[in-house]
Amino acid sequence: MISLLSNPVSQKRWRRFRQSRRGFASACILLLLTLLSIGAELLASNRALIVYYQGHLHFPTYGSVISGREFGLDYDYETNYRDLQTSFAAAPEDNNWLIMPLIPFSPLESDLIAGDFPPHAPSVSSKHYLGTDTSGRDVLARLIYGFRTALLFSVCLLIFNYIVGVAIGCLMGYWGGRFDLFFQRVIEIWSNIPFLYVIMIVASVITPGFWTLLLIMAFFGWTGMTWYMRTAAYKEASRDYVMAARALGASGSRIMFRHILPNSVSTLVTFVPFSVASGITSLTALDYLGFGLPSPTPSWGELLKQGTENMESIWMVGAVVTAMTVILMLVAFIGEAIRDAYDPKQFSYYE
Amino acid sequence: MVGYFLRRLLLVIPTFIGISLLVFTITRVVPGGPIERLMTQAQLGGETGGLTRSQSSGSTLSDEQMEELKHYYGFDKPLLAGYAEWLGKVIQFDLGTSTRYQDPVWDIIKERFPVSIFYGLSTMILTYLVCIPLGIFKGMYHGSRFDSLSSAVVFLGYALPSYVIGIALISAFAGYFDWFPLGGFVSDDFAEFGFWQKTTDIFHHAVLPLIAYLAGSFAVTTLMMKNALMDNMSADYMRTATAKGLMRGEAIRGHALRNSLIPIATSFGNNISLLISGSFLIETIFNIDGIGLLGYEAVIERDYPIVMGILVISSILYLVGNILSDICVALVDPRIRFGESRT
Repeated sequence: MISLLSNPVSQKRWRRFRQSRRGFASACILLLLTLLSIGAELLASNRALIVYYQGHLHFPTYGSVISGREFGLDYDYETNYRDLQTSFAAAPEDNNWLIMPLIPFSPLESDLIAGDFPPHAPSVSSKHYLGTDTSGRDVLARLIYGFRTALLFSVCLLIFNYIVGVAIGCLMGYWGGRFDLFFQRVIEIWSNIPFLYVIMIVASVITPGFWTLLLIMAFFGWTGMTWYMRTAAYKEASRDYVMAARALGASGSRIMFRHILPNSVSTLVTFVPFSVASGITSLTALDYLGFGLPSPTPSWGELLKQGTENMESIWMVGAVVTAMTVILMLVAFIGEAIRDAYDPKQFSYYE
Repeated sequence: MVGYFLRRLLLVIPTFIGISLLVFTITRVVPGGPIERLMTQAQLGGETGGLTRSQSSGSTLSDEQMEELKHYYGFDKPLLAGYAEWLGKVIQFDLGTSTRYQDPVWDIIKERFPVSIFYGLSTMILTYLVCIPLGIFKGMYHGSRFDSLSSAVVFLGYALPSYVIGIALISAFAGYFDWFPLGGFVSDDFAEFGFWQKTTDIFHHAVLPLIAYLAGSFAVTTLMMKNALMDNMSADYMRTATAKGLMRGEAIRGHALRNSLIPIATSFGNNISLLISGSFLIETIFNIDGIGLLGYEAVIERDYPIVMGILVISSILYLVGNILSDICVALVDPRIRFGESRT
């Protein structure tokens, strides 16, 4: 693996990738967004970032619940930092202060505004910058946390699918014959099982959590990569250089690992961004239909469902569609740039 | 090669049995089937239609009634015997009776065919008509202004899944602006329209779903075409072609283009299954009464005869489509020899 990264061809590809400005910029932005979403608690949370109370600093974001008594309030449950902020502001002579995150709402918290029924329209004064959903939860907060879940989900799904797909697909293409036919049958059976149907059945027995859903989707999703890999290996195996290697007496595993795999890796890497995108979109589709992650989990699909059921509250659909457009476009740009970087004879046209 | 494809065709049978047996087992083993549904409904004391005939106490079903129900659904036989009986009927083109509508499954599915075929066929024709020329043009003038501009559109279509585009379209143009109807295939008073009015009505309803259908397949095919053409344009045989004095356009038309149609051919056969079964997500969003929506509702309602019927049709189409794809590949790529041992 390290030799794969440090060899001059890979370095050349990396340089070529960086030269594609759109792709490289997209990669940087996506990396930034990913890092931001990993620290989502610092962006959107109902806990304060820093509280300065009676000469002591508190950092409530991570860690255990801080009781209201700690800050001189008359309750034992978790401090309501938004109220604390107003009470601090009302008594400036005490010199207490606190800093709230940019979005002072957690994704699971219903903010009920007196005299109005959710969903609330976007408003800067109530700090719901993208409005709230039908139970009064902040859309922007749910969008950020939903992005983190979706990205994590699709990366895990990708790793699993690729390991299984490359192993089986390579052997299918290289060995051919009975092994190929057997797995063709398996894949045909697998990819004909109605995906949604199976997940709905499983969801009716157990409410799938993150890892259960991941396993179910991977269990039925490995076939796509296997099929691509089979075609690639099949094509490579019928090339002359493989015959030459065989004539020189190279063993099957050597041909596979030294010749076929490195040559078909280009097909593989160009699929990575698209696999990430398809992971995100299929999770969102499942959530939209109500068979994805269990209900309080912030997710894009669930927001879309609420949006289509309340079409007059267009900010919900608008927020998710915009977010998906941005993220999936970035991923697609990266994919195109990787493809260009992997094509060694890129501009060698003959006139 | 002919022998290879004949063998493939024969192998459809065991594959089909594998698929249907697996799904059949799931419908039988997993809780939440039609009998459990009826029992819950009976326990709730509601009217459950003509199936639970006499409700003596009103609370639960008697053992006798349970047996009757199990017999009605064919759940009284062991799994394999039940499957064998089902398969025997399928071979005689009898897909059973829907537990929800009480009509033969085949009739219900047949009713939905025209709608799904209309969308499938229009999507397929539009896709190939637009994508192949566009892909060729983008590949030939990679990096030009037209390439970058059209890439933006293609990427938008590629990046966003068709159901998101569908949701965005229906929210904006039907929900917010009120330009197009909120789903459906035709208007409610369709039967009273004249011919011209009927045609415009269908197309008025079809605009948004067709855009959504197109958006997905359109981008994939265009990119595939472009990438394949660019791969082939930098191949050595293109250098040879140029060296012997061919013009660039001629070289591409005569050599690179033919080779870059191979990836398109690998996916051609799969059009068949898309043609009939459509996308249930789009049909759900736009409330189009096609096969997709029927299947989705059947799964939710646990109407297993319909679920199995749609499975039979779609899996046979998929299997035949795969073989068709391989035949296409073998036709366009003489280097590929399926089924001949190399060792």
